[in-house]
This record gives sequence, structure tokens and C-alpha cells, in this order.
Amino acid sequence: MSERALGLLDIFGPVMIGPSSSHTAGVARIAFLARKIHGGPFDRARVLFHGSLASTWKGHGSDKAAIAGLLGILPEDARLGFAPELAKREGLNIELVPVFDSPERYHPNTVVLELESGERRTRVRGASVGGGKVRLQSINGFKTELDGALEALLVLHQDTRGVIAGVAAILAAWGFNIASMTSHRTDKGDLALLVVEVDGIVASGVVPALAGVQGVKDVVYVPSASGGGRL
Amino acid sequence: MNWKFSNAAELLGRIGESGLGYAEWLIARDAFNAGIEAEAVRAEIGRRMMISRNAIEQGVASPKRSFSGLTEGAAFKVASSPLPPPVADRFFGLAITYALAVNEVNACGGRVVAFPTAGSSGIVPGVLWAWRDAREPGLNAESKRLQDAFVAASAIGVLIAQRATLAGAAGGCQAECGSAGAMAAAGLAVLEGMDFADAIDAAALSLKNSLGLACDPVAGLVEVPCVKRNAFLAANAITAVTLARAGVRSAIPFDEVVGAMKAIGDAMPAALKETAEGGLAATPTGRAWKERIL
Repeated sequence: MSERALGLLDIFGPVMIGPSSSHTAGVARIAFLARKIHGGPFDRARVLFHGSLASTWKGHGSDKAAIAGLLGILPEDARLGFAPELAKREGLNIELVPVFDSPERYHPNTVVLELESGERRTRVRGASVGGGKVRLQSINGFKTELDGALEALLVLHQDTRGVIAGVAAILAAWGFNIASMTSHRTDKGDLALLVVEVDGIVASGVVPALAGVQGVKDVVYVPSASGGGRL
Repeated sequence: MNWKFSNAAELLGRIGESGLGYAEWLIARDAFNAGIEAEAVRAEIGRRMMISRNAIEQGVASPKRSFSGLTEGAAFKVASSPLPPPVADRFFGLAITYALAVNEVNACGGRVVAFPTAGSSGIVPGVLWAWRDAREPGLNAESKRLQDAFVAASAIGVLIAQRATLAGAAGGCQAECGSAGAMAAAGLAVLEGMDFADAIDAAALSLKNSLGLACDPVAGLVEVPCVKRNAFLAANAITAVTLARAGVRSAIPFDEVVGAMKAIGDAMPAALKETAEGGLAATPTGRAWKERIL
């Protein structure tokens, strides 16, 4: 992730349901992204509150915020306050767990979300880094550093030559400008993870096109945290 | 166009080179960085101004009570008090009432705009909307003049965030409510007809007077002392502009005051940086509230 210049709307914003930008708005945003990464609705979910969230999650509405995000409700949506009732009405199984013995490498405001639908499982670890801004630091066991400002694609692939060129060619053919591209080797044998941030909104055909590149094992689409657009 | 600046002196230099007004230049910069039109940035500023206005209306209309019980309708109490206030000026009374109103709505899980943070979200809208109501009721969220005041306030936040911090956890409350007070001073200064360079100096006056403020919230909640502090920092901003308008200059330039704020924040013990372990949070009454709430 590249450093972005701070602008007026970073200071006058975000629009949010109170009381805390880091413990309410940031948590809702991370949960919102976790649902998107999972690909939408789920059967069960578990929310783990780490660090300072473990002790203040009730007073700061972090519980409502996490449930709201999991329902696809953005931090500025007034329905955030009723999210637990909405989840109950939909019969969703969401478990909330404060964790007091977090690994030292975790940011002081960390939330982990685990989503399940049948065989499909998604695990996202996010940090709420202040002012409602977030960093997704781990997705399905892979180390990431995404802030949700841009659309991103995670491409899990065999660590062989030509894959990155293949991915870049497809993105170019679809007319995307690549804002950043980072490659991480993983501890899963000969696999590597390519993280690509692009300008604009990723069209639905891009993911299957990338999945067809020789050597690609899986493609995860991470939409922008605003639900589209950069404001 | 070069859109980079790292301090107020550079920002004023860039704006001067461009030949644009400060608000036009800053909005064009946001538009460039986001890849959108300047009009879209203005429209979003207007939308956020209206959300801050709605929070004011809500907070004044009825007593707001939070989940913890620590927030109990101070804005409503002040707005509906039958006693004459010691300062009879309508603008002053509205500014502190509105600042309370927004922050009570925030504490109660209502909708606000973080400015720069949720805990300090009442100060800038409180001062600027109060000035509108008392002095120029014809202006609205689409008026360039009122929007430009919100732009001047936001620019002060950008300058502080670049060289210090806006987070209580990193720099104490001087970084949150203190910054918001400086931002409100700049916004009020331009509404009063001062130019942007002088508005930055008014921001320096306000920021100097909030250096060292601890972030020691009772039970870790964004309520005590946050809500009432929003009213006090609104008054701080008004005092700064009263001085600046009369030609009183800050003896220390804005950029150096920001540097001092950073140094003080770094020297502050962790107990006073949003951990709820020191200060008011550690008083017998503060601890008793915590026991009762959590």
C-alpha cells in the first residue's frame, strides 16, 4: 500500500454513527470488508475483539458496529445502532468474543472476523488505526496491508515465472491502471501471494479472467471500503 | 501543479504561486488526489456540513442520554435555561450549545461527522454554524462562503496531522479537542473576513492555549470530559479570533506550535493517552462510574 496524501475530506470525515471513530466506525468498516471478501451472506460468524477493544467494546458500540458491517451496513448508516436486532430478525448466528491474551504483533485496536457458509471460510484480521481508517493485515492467513481506499485483488499463485506478467496483461486488457503491486512468498510450499491495488471499480468478469491465468490457484476480490468510489 | 506541502509556510507558498484562492487550491488538491471533479468535492463538503447541522438540531431539541448515563442532555439544558447567560452575545451562547449538542449526539450513538475525530466533532460545526445563525442566517451548506470556512478548518487539521497527530491515543486530548479548537479558530477567522494566512495565526493562538491537555476519559468512554470540553474549546477558538481580529499575533508561529504539540504528546505518559488509567479516569468517582458501567 502506498502512502496517500491527506486531504480535506480525511479531516472533515468520516460521516459516522458515534461514539468512537476507531472503536465504532473503524470496526464497522473492517467487518463490512470481511463480508465483501467472503462474497456476501454467511451462515455463521465469529468476531474476536483484541487489545483495547476487548475492554471497551460494549461502551463504544463495537458489538453493534461489527454486526452492522457483517450485515453490509456502512459506518455512516443509522441502521448501525439496530444491527443486533436486524441480525436476530434474520436468524444470523454471530458470536462475539473478547480476547485478552493477544499476540504481541497485533495492533492495539484489532478485530478478527471468521465467516462460514458451508465449506467456504473467510478469516480477516483488521486494525482500526484512528479516525475511522483501517488496515486489513491478514486475509485467509496471508499477510496483507490494505486500507480499503482502493479496490484490490489478491492472487494466490504458484511461485513460477510468468504469472505476474499474465496478471498484468489481463488488468491492462480490462483497462485498469495498477496503483500498486506487491508480491509475498508464503509458507504454504511453493505458493506466493500477489496483492494488486487498482484505480476504479473492478468489473465482475476480472476475477474469473485472472483465475484462468496459468499457475493461479485462487483470486480474492477486496472492494473499496466505501462500497464504491473514493469519497 | 505541485500539490505537496509539509507545513503552513509551504502551503501558503503553493497557494500564492497558483494564483488561486486558498479554498479553490485546497479543493482542487483533494479532487486531484481522488481523481474526481472539484465540484464533487464541494458537494461532499456540503453534504457533510448538513450532517453536522442535523446533529446540532437533534442535540438541542431534546435531552440526550447515553447508554452509560454519563451524558445527560447538557446542550438541551443550556439551550432551554430561563436564566440570562453571563455573556449575552447570541453567537457565543449558540456556539457552546451547538458544540455540546453534536458531541452528545455522538456519545449517544447518533450520526455525526468526525472533525477531526468523533470525540471532538462538536467544536468546528458548533462555532461555524452558530456564527451563521447569529450573523448571516441567509447562508447555507451550499454557500461558498460557509463552505470555505469548513475548508480553512480542515486545512489546519491536515497541517497538524502531517507533522504531529490528531489521535488522543498518540498525543493526548490536545491532539483531538485542541486541534479542533485551532481548526474552528481558522474557520471563524475567515468568516470574520480575515485572510487565510492570518487565520492560520489565529489557529496558532488557540492551539497554544490547549497544549498539554490530557486524554483521560472516564471508563474509556467518549463522554467525560469529552462532551463538555467541546464547549470549552469552542470558547477557546472564539477568544483566539477576538484577539487575532484586533491584530494580536501569536509570538510563536503556527508550525512551531505544532512541533511543540508533538513534543508534548511524545513526553506525555501513557496513562494520559486514552488508556483510561490516569487523570479523571483514575479519580474515586471516575473509578466508581467504571465499576457501574462495565
